[in-house]
Amino acid sequence: MTITIAVPSKGRMKEDSAAIFERAGLKIVAVGNERSYRGRVEGFDDIEIAFLSASEISRELGNGSVDFGVTGEDLMREQMAEVDSRVEFCARLGFGHADVVVAVPEIWVDVDSMADLGDVAADFRARHHRRLTIATKYWRLTQQHFSGSHGIQLYRIVESLGATEGAPAAGQADIIVDITSTGSTLTANHLKILSDGVILRSQACLVRARKREHEADARVKRIVEAVRRAL
Amino acid sequence: MALINLPGFSAALLADFVSRGTERVDTPIIQPAEPFLDMAGEDLRRRIFLTESETGENLCLRPEFTIPVCLRHIESAMGTPKRYAYLGEVFRQRRDGPNEFFQAGIEDLGDGDTAAADARAIGDAMGILKLLLPGKALKVTLGDQAVFEAVVKALGLPLGWQKRLIHAFGNPDRIEQWLQTLASPLPISGIDPKTLELAQSGDDAGLIAHLDETMQATGYSTNASRAPAEIAARLREKLSLAQTKLDDSVLLLLREFLSLELPLAEAPAALAGFADAAGLHLGPAVAAFEARLRALEAAGIDVAPIVYRAAFGRPLDYYTGLVFEVTAGESQAVLAGGGRFDRLMTLLGASSHIPAVGFALWLDRIEAERARS
Repeated sequence: MTITIAVPSKGRMKEDSAAIFERAGLKIVAVGNERSYRGRVEGFDDIEIAFLSASEISRELGNGSVDFGVTGEDLMREQMAEVDSRVEFCARLGFGHADVVVAVPEIWVDVDSMADLGDVAADFRARHHRRLTIATKYWRLTQQHFSGSHGIQLYRIVESLGATEGAPAAGQADIIVDITSTGSTLTANHLKILSDGVILRSQACLVRARKREHEADARVKRIVEAVRRAL
Repeated sequence: MALINLPGFSAALLADFVSRGTERVDTPIIQPAEPFLDMAGEDLRRRIFLTESETGENLCLRPEFTIPVCLRHIESAMGTPKRYAYLGEVFRQRRDGPNEFFQAGIEDLGDGDTAAADARAIGDAMGILKLLLPGKALKVTLGDQAVFEAVVKALGLPLGWQKRLIHAFGNPDRIEQWLQTLASPLPISGIDPKTLELAQSGDDAGLIAHLDETMQATGYSTNASRAPAEIAARLREKLSLAQTKLDDSVLLLLREFLSLELPLAEAPAALAGFADAAGLHLGPAVAAFEARLRALEAAGIDVAPIVYRAAFGRPLDYYTGLVFEVTAGESQAVLAGGGRFDRLMTLLGASSHIPAVGFALWLDRIEAERARS
């Protein structure tokens, strides 16, 4: 059986992944030309590399069509229910840092915590004849954080597929749930992160699809250990 | 439409609905999703079957009947009072059990005699279950949002705290969390010194002007979302919330109230005793609670199986008074559940206030219970 590892197909994530695999003794080489979407690992004929986009990688891990993948924890947790029973987060790779956060307009001086936001959400309909709206592309993470962890039910999600941080000033939503790495985009848009508003501190991870055939496969364990040693 | 997978007792149930003087209604299976998400919150999104129309409207498979029946009533501009009965399939994503199952129920809209209407809803649910499960001992758990609200108000907490507790009613973890915060308040953080000074000095106009100025300077339109006056008012409320530390005795009273669980027939005396001992005036809520019990007795309903549990509620903001659930025998499965939702009709767009009470029967669970006996 061939083991397939999906790694990001472009950008910093691709370079950083390649560097870690090389340090782990698993040097990735492209098959054919540089832009090819297939690769292999030098010296290992039974390992195959698939170059995919980060969100495709989390999807393929979810349906088990690849064995390992390098992708952001945020994407995995957003795209999949009961993620920990379906995949294993084998190693945090130390790059691709991004926090998924709840941010509100700075001018909301009375809102510093989720509890404050809960108060505002509870009253919102009576004051504004509509629910509090949240712009985000993270439906699942937002629901888990608001409903699951903080008992806030009364809000509506407005799907945002780009420039989410601009939504409150533009009047498209009241607040946002989005990723941030340095916080500078939020600051530039006069948004602040709630004190308990960090939903997830995400980074790139080596993720394994939980498959029964992995249990008896020594190569699976060796790959995980090699990557962990390279960190 | 003749459905061949209807529960075997459907005909008997429909005949019983007629004998109870209700009007049978049906609603389309495909419903606009917005009213459900708006009323129950985004959490529902994971549990319903959503799709989109060609024009981009959110549609879903009917997840329950109350909202469609109420919307149909508003659209058809029918007068009240009106008692509707329904029986049909509902669709929800469930991890245990099938995703489509039958529910039936009665929605009683516009009866101003709330005690009698509450009693009738409980009596109907019990009567139907007795008919479908002959010989089974029923257990009814009853709660009352209005009584809890009266207790919280009588304790003299700041308005913001009242709202927090009332909003959390029916969610025990959340209530416990608030009680702990009330016992040992958390310090205020995250407010810049100038704003804090303005808020504490009581200079309302100055605070609002300061917020307005900042809003203009940062490019936030003041009409779409929260306005400076609203933020200023909530900031003052928050400062007073943070300073509130409940007396141990008040906390004990709240906990004592929430732990009340006793036969309904004894509940009015217990509530009166609690109010007396605590020196609280609970007013009309307790009077209405007792009136409901009298209405149950007057309607000849056996109240012995009904237990009042003070902490029992539903954390949805349109429930206003009665909530109840019925189980049978030793099983924990809820066979019928209902309550009073006086706020729902206006939230859904009714032009006048329409009191409403209703309940739903879980026909698949009732069928399982029948098979067991």
